[in-house]
Amino acid sequence: MSPARNVLPREGGFVLVLVVLMLFAISVAGAAGYLVVNTEFSMARYSDQGAEAETIARAALNRFIAEQLGVVGDSVSYAIGNGVGLITSRKLFEADSLNHLYYIRSEGTVTDAMTPTPARRVIGAYAYHRKRPLKHFAAVMVAADQGYSYGATGNVDGNDQNTSGDCAGGGLPATTGIIARTATGAQAGALLNGSPTGETWTGGFNQIYDSVALRWDILSDPSFPIEFDGAPPNFASLPADSFPVVRMIGPLAPGSSWSGRGVLIVTGKFDPGPSFNWDGIVLAGEVDDINQGNIRGMLVGALNGPNLQSPVYWYDTVRYYSCYVHAANESLSYLELVENTEFEAL
Amino acid sequence: MSGTFLVQSQYYSSQKLRVGVHDNARVATERIAAEIRSTMQDGFVVAGRRTLTIRAPLVLGVICNRLGSQDGDIHTEGGETAFNGADMAGIAVRDASTGAWDYQTATWSYIDANNSAAADDCADNGADTTWAASEFHRVQHLGDLFSPTPVEGDVMMLFRETTFRIQASVLDTMTLGLFRQVAGGSEVEFATGMDTTAQFQYRTGGATYADTVTSGAIGNIDAVRIVADARLPARSGVLEDITFGWTVNVAVKNLP
Repeated sequence: MSPARNVLPREGGFVLVLVVLMLFAISVAGAAGYLVVNTEFSMARYSDQGAEAETIARAALNRFIAEQLGVVGDSVSYAIGNGVGLITSRKLFEADSLNHLYYIRSEGTVTDAMTPTPARRVIGAYAYHRKRPLKHFAAVMVAADQGYSYGATGNVDGNDQNTSGDCAGGGLPATTGIIARTATGAQAGALLNGSPTGETWTGGFNQIYDSVALRWDILSDPSFPIEFDGAPPNFASLPADSFPVVRMIGPLAPGSSWSGRGVLIVTGKFDPGPSFNWDGIVLAGEVDDINQGNIRGMLVGALNGPNLQSPVYWYDTVRYYSCYVHAANESLSYLELVENTEFEAL
Repeated sequence: MSGTFLVQSQYYSSQKLRVGVHDNARVATERIAAEIRSTMQDGFVVAGRRTLTIRAPLVLGVICNRLGSQDGDIHTEGGETAFNGADMAGIAVRDASTGAWDYQTATWSYIDANNSAAADDCADNGADTTWAASEFHRVQHLGDLFSPTPVEGDVMMLFRETTFRIQASVLDTMTLGLFRQVAGGSEVEFATGMDTTAQFQYRTGGATYADTVTSGAIGNIDAVRIVADARLPARSGVLEDITFGWTVNVAVKNLP
């Protein structure tokens, strides 16, 4: 039988109190340290998210303007990085029927589950909507030394085949038949009409490229989104007044399956066959020497550089239809940022 | 025992000062950076080592209608309620051919024509005023302020002129403070505890920053470096001053 322990009431009590006090002091200091670090971390994160929201807003604004083709949308949103860029546009002024001024507002937000309020920044800018960017210089405009209408069925005509009753802006004065660098004309019984029938632009490719004022580098970039890329749409399923942009990256020798309307962009060599028919505008990086088919509108060729083949012959018809050109041209309309107007709304 | 608590106290005081000095530096730079970032072309007025004066947009707008020789209807995002007219130092017009801004001093009350017909008139010129009639308003005295008089389609800016100064603090006389003054308003100290090394530096193209910029090169400033070094003097229980080196480069993003 072991003796009962005789525990004195004062033993250990002092140490316990001291330990509790020290633990309390350490916990207070620890909590203070945690708060300090946590506050610093939160501030840094808010700042970082604010900067990201601003970057997203600017990126969305520039993406919207760069990718704009055709009718200007009222609102578009992009998922960029950790946030979203929301674009809204408002037309503010019509300088004339072809140039409208828009206010583009871009709101970038970054949402974080750990942050009570999303970081938000707003960037604004102004941009002109160039509604019909391609000028009507000629029925056939090619950056080759020589361009000819050729053969018994050859017919290049710069006279407008539409009248003012066909569409708004229809029935325009005749334009040039063919534009090339050194020589134009009709050979082997072909027809060539227009006013004048032909023009030589001695500046060649550079003069033509600068004059048409197209964003060819963008339109021909595979990463630039085009609605119908690589294959034509089913035109029967589109409204009759729809003149879409259709693009082929690389060479194309179109036949009847590619016949249609709108803007046809061929980034490589364009080599149309006799069954090809197109209403609108054809833009080509390069043009074959022997071309067939029928275009009711305009052809602008060799936008990649001076055409590798010359002369360029057209065996069938290219006739200027201003109404088809207008309709297709509006599908090429784009936004041009008004320089020095991008600002951060505080 | 007492030593333990003394060390605890020193640690806590030191941490508190350190937080304070960090906050001072952050507040100073965040506040300035937000305004500098928004500065447009030709928006720098004074670019000195301890003084920086900038003109930054309160809001941009477009003249969508002109009336007579003086009046014009403009659209601004959010309308009149989106900015504080008392902060406005003037109005600027963008040259459509060069893109340069022509800044003119004017108060909001001087140019505000306070007319409600602006939205209707702009709609006649093609503006989409749906759900935004309040964002259109009429301004006056355009002919008095600008030559040539702005035309429809011109972009305008209502701007604020703000001066930042690093000078002796009023709140803590042992340190420097960062003061902000909006044109027409009083100088306000909104960051205290700046060190003697605190200053502004400027980049005019290239990669180097200079303490000052000649008047001829002031239009070429494309970035501002804020050296917001902070210092808090020793307090009870802390033996040495707490310092914090903090430098931020702010690119002026609205330049062409």
